[in-house]
Amino acid sequence: MGEKSTPLLAVLQLLKKYNLKGTEEILRKEANLGDTEFQNLDLPEVEIANILSVHHTESDPFTYEHAYDCLKKFIENSLDICKYELSTLLYPVFVHMYLSLILYDHNEHAAKFLERFGQEQEDYYQDDLQQLSIVKAKEQIKGNELAEIYSTNKFDVQLSRDSSSQLKRFLHEQKSSPVIINIINNHILIDIHDGPGRTQAQVKATAGGILGEASRNENRAKVYYGLLKEPYIEVLATPPEDEEEVEETPDKPKKKKAKKDNVFMKKPKVDPNAPPTDRIPLPELKETDKIEKGKALREASKRVQLGPETLPSICFYTLLNSGHTALCADICDDSSLLAVGFNTSTIKVWTLTSVRLRGMKSVDKLQDIDKEAGDVLVRMMEEKDRDTCRTLFGHSGPVYKVAFDPFKTLLLSCSEDSTIRLWSLQCWTCVVVYRGHVWPVWDVRWSPHGHYFASASHDRTARLWATDHHQPLRFFSGHLSDVDCVQFHPNSNYVATGSSDRTVRLWDCLTGTQLRLMTGHKRPILTLSFSVCGRWLASGGGGGEVVIWDLSSGAPAAHLPPHHTAPVTALAFSRDGALLASGSLDCTIKLWDFALITDESANDENIASSSPAKEEKILLRSFATKNSPLKNLHFTRRNLLLAVGSYEGSS
Amino acid sequence: MGEPETGYGSALTLDSMKVIAESIGVANLGEDAAKELADDVTFRLKVIVQDAMKFMNHSKRQKLSITDIDHSLKIKNVEPQYGFIQPDFLPFRYASGGGRELHFIEEKEIDLSEILSAPPPKIPLDVSLRAHWLSVDGVQPTVPENPPPLSKEAQKLESVDPITKLSKPANKDSAGKPACGKAARLKASESVHVKQLATHELSVEQQLYYKEITEACVGSDEGRRAEALQSLACDPGLHEMLPRMCTFISEGVKVNVVQNNLALLIYLMRMVKALLDNQSLYLEKYLHELIPSVSTCIVSRQLCLRPEVDNHWALRDFAARLMAQICKTFNTSTNNLQTRVTRLFSRALQCPSQTNSDSGPSMVTSMKESEKTPLASLYGAVQGLAELGPEVVKVFILPRVRWLGERVEGALSGIGGADRLAAGNLKHQLLKVLAPVVRQLRQPPDLPDDYKREYGYLGPSLQQMVSKLRLSPSTTGGGGAVAVVTCTPPLVPLTTLPTPSPQHQMLTKSVDSGTRSIINAPQSPAPSTPPPQKFVIVSQQKSQTQQASGASHIVVHSSQPTIVRSQNVQSSMVVTSGPANQQPQKVVVVGMQPQQTQGGVSQAPVSVVAKPVFARAPSAPQPPPELDDLSHLA
Repeated sequence: MGEKSTPLLAVLQLLKKYNLKGTEEILRKEANLGDTEFQNLDLPEVEIANILSVHHTESDPFTYEHAYDCLKKFIENSLDICKYELSTLLYPVFVHMYLSLILYDHNEHAAKFLERFGQEQEDYYQDDLQQLSIVKAKEQIKGNELAEIYSTNKFDVQLSRDSSSQLKRFLHEQKSSPVIINIINNHILIDIHDGPGRTQAQVKATAGGILGEASRNENRAKVYYGLLKEPYIEVLATPPEDEEEVEETPDKPKKKKAKKDNVFMKKPKVDPNAPPTDRIPLPELKETDKIEKGKALREASKRVQLGPETLPSICFYTLLNSGHTALCADICDDSSLLAVGFNTSTIKVWTLTSVRLRGMKSVDKLQDIDKEAGDVLVRMMEEKDRDTCRTLFGHSGPVYKVAFDPFKTLLLSCSEDSTIRLWSLQCWTCVVVYRGHVWPVWDVRWSPHGHYFASASHDRTARLWATDHHQPLRFFSGHLSDVDCVQFHPNSNYVATGSSDRTVRLWDCLTGTQLRLMTGHKRPILTLSFSVCGRWLASGGGGGEVVIWDLSSGAPAAHLPPHHTAPVTALAFSRDGALLASGSLDCTIKLWDFALITDESANDENIASSSPAKEEKILLRSFATKNSPLKNLHFTRRNLLLAVGSYEGSS
Repeated sequence: MGEPETGYGSALTLDSMKVIAESIGVANLGEDAAKELADDVTFRLKVIVQDAMKFMNHSKRQKLSITDIDHSLKIKNVEPQYGFIQPDFLPFRYASGGGRELHFIEEKEIDLSEILSAPPPKIPLDVSLRAHWLSVDGVQPTVPENPPPLSKEAQKLESVDPITKLSKPANKDSAGKPACGKAARLKASESVHVKQLATHELSVEQQLYYKEITEACVGSDEGRRAEALQSLACDPGLHEMLPRMCTFISEGVKVNVVQNNLALLIYLMRMVKALLDNQSLYLEKYLHELIPSVSTCIVSRQLCLRPEVDNHWALRDFAARLMAQICKTFNTSTNNLQTRVTRLFSRALQCPSQTNSDSGPSMVTSMKESEKTPLASLYGAVQGLAELGPEVVKVFILPRVRWLGERVEGALSGIGGADRLAAGNLKHQLLKVLAPVVRQLRQPPDLPDDYKREYGYLGPSLQQMVSKLRLSPSTTGGGGAVAVVTCTPPLVPLTTLPTPSPQHQMLTKSVDSGTRSIINAPQSPAPSTPPPQKFVIVSQQKSQTQQASGASHIVVHSSQPTIVRSQNVQSSMVVTSGPANQQPQKVVVVGMQPQQTQGGVSQAPVSVVAKPVFARAPSAPQPPPELDDLSHLA
């Protein structure tokens, strides 16, 4: 295709769109355009407008470099207070210049342009530029995930009022070369906020999303991040010797400490931030579940209070002879079972206590059991002890995540074969196969109350399921790339997702809408964890960074100092919420003083600019394992930290 | 991130496109077509790799594997490439021909029937779970399951630049010690005592451990000692105790040399050995204490109370091996360790006329005090040099052999049992280390007169030893003499042993079984043997062998070169191989206790080799002799 043909094609497409057949015919004849080219008309909407408005100047490749230089000069010479905000414009302008160069078939100029200015872009965009640089011809834009995202979505840039008026003035002066103006009009969404321009640190804290920062409007909606009140379990389940506890733990049986010095929330009967109890219909607790909860409460009363002075003990479970086959691990809430998913499509469940894994009796024998008997649940299990490890077969691809339900009777797993499977831990078979995702499923998590679960997939959606429906209840779509991880809020009303588009989003289970869009990660997000109190969300990324988010505002509360050198694969809060443990592929576990992190953010607004001395204090301790990358971290109810990793040889 | 990447992305070259096209039968691919193809293929490949990265991330790996690519192809609805299983990196090879370089992967042709007939491969071990404490109340215990608290690199850095420890007081990665430790206190008070950094605080547990270990190492309970040494050799996290351990050893050696307590010296040397074996320790810092101690145990004039009875030779041998190990491990171009050690030993071998000219004043005075270096020290020096390799032997011992021979001759003819014994040992040792070297150096024929002229007193014995070696089938590759007579670890020429010839195996078998005593070897026994000869092989049963090797001394009495003396011989064999010999010879081969010199004599026209060393030498080297059986001597 010649240089001229792109605008012509654009015109043709426009004519076709408005169904102007006659004109179209004539134009095609005059321009000598073949049918094949005509078939390929699929320029994006925005591009058409772009092309039509300015094709005569934009097709000159030399204006681009000049225009970009001008923009750079303008930003360098602008007021200090606006500088950093304005500099966020550079990257999107750069990207779109590159793409339009490609679009106009100036492939060599495009390569030169990338070569010349690519290195100047921020570090965290370099990965994207690598991806974009693959696109070297017009046809390839369609095949490239990233280029498509850029050409169909607007990049979000936040400017203060001052900065934007400066920008306007600059654009006015640039009348002669409308390249930048067009890009800004067509591809960039400028979000103007009142108040002074932001500093470098502030900008950096939230920059990094594929489409720039989250706009302010997106995070307006209220999030009920408080915990649910849990009624009347204690009465039923707490044995008499724990009477003191009954008084003190009337509301949050799952994760709370006896003392009332929690800084984040008070412990009245009703948390002001909590959603109404019936906002999401929760399953009725079964008799057995109540017993389980009672046990949990008793254990919780024996919990060790953790803090910077009293660090937890860590028990490390090493998977030997696993090589690279073990992919994921999960430990059930009462820390008695460990499940590991392998890339050989199998799942293994180990018992961590002396209680062996028992199966259910055969059907014939089950018929003989008196169903009214009080101990029917015990009777239906086989008497003789079984193995310490059982293997579950069923998947046909690597198992990327396994998850125990809160009452340890069920196990969920998701796999590359795009299915989610539900396994019974009583009869040790697969009970349900949930099909719905068409691509590999990366993550699956239970709601803390059971019944619901959420999944994340390569198909860029997260889905909400209930165990008794074979179709998903909600689709959470909006991520621009793979959804890599998912996590339920402790009150079961929200789901958080992390994605390769470097954003964390919070979704409402009731409405299925997106409530928070949180940007600031510079690499794909691999793991998420909600704080015990429900207000904070910790996310771990592919570069080893850990970010703490405040759900009330959607802003990053803290970027933890970059001590991890490899992707963070596991995050866990201690049961009293005082410590955060992070595990990484660099074979270390690090303990962070979470109370200090959040305390700090309460005191002053700019966490990003906190002094290095304070940063030093946040990291309490680092423990290296013997060449065993971390798969999972889990705090027991008594605040012992359990860690799982697979030994990868002494090389 | 941020590193200067040269441009964005690489691309397949036109040449490779053409080569690929040729490989599938398209002969002349046009330039344009190749360019189009190259661009398109590059793009597709990169898209596939991009997606494969996602699978790698979710597999919690940092290395892309072939299965990732397969999955990535699968989600693009492309048939995966079956059959590519590569456990390691693809081994690219280069080949240049026709003016261009090629990368290729070597694909061997595999014979299916071979695979079918081969025994099935071992079943991989099942995945298993093991729990240990990574941290107890925030402190990481130093158990083998945990990484060493201070890596070797860190220990090195600390010893090279102590300031680093000061500048990083809150180094939380190390040992998991509370940050409020001594370093933090130092920093707080702003008083920098670099000297204090050299001291290591020991916790109560560590003090207890130190006490237990040192007691066990020098105590009388052999079982405990074994455990303690095992702990020293394996446990990570000993680095904090290391200075104390080294001081313990060096002080211990000083005291016990004076008191001539052989047993304790042996125990201390075994501690050194254990520390050397510990992979997680950075010993460089303490060599200044260890090397004098070890060399003391090699060359000290007296190491035991009754030199005529006690076997201090074994200690000297053992320490010499340690020294060789130290030299091998720690020698660098900066510390010139091996050179210095070699110089130390070679000075001891200096004959008096030479000492005046080139050795230090201290050496001269010591020479004057006692007239001569004691024979025991000479023995140690010879042994120490011998362990450093044949080259060292050639340069430093061989030139002195005439003088050494005079000393030996003098002592053997003189009175005094101890001296005689020492001279005997020295002579034996000299022959042992020199023979392989001389064998390489000289061409046959070996005439006793030549030897006598060149090497003095020791010449004839040496000649005999050498010719013995030349005939011995086990040493066709040369330098195997050591394997024949002793069982030193393979520091010396053992490594050059060739694979055993079929005949060896036969011999080996019969020696092991001990039932057959005579074998008729149909072919010529060894390629290098010029005249066909008969062999007498005298061997012992295993138990005795070990005894003998435990003492590690087999005396070849060679003043009478034609008699074979053997002790405790229970089975012997004669191998006849070919027609009768022209020059009947009788040779001594023997395994026996050093002190006993008489035994059964077997006479036969012969050349010789002894001992089931045969059976072992070509395969695994024998373990160094345990010194335990010497403890009763003390």
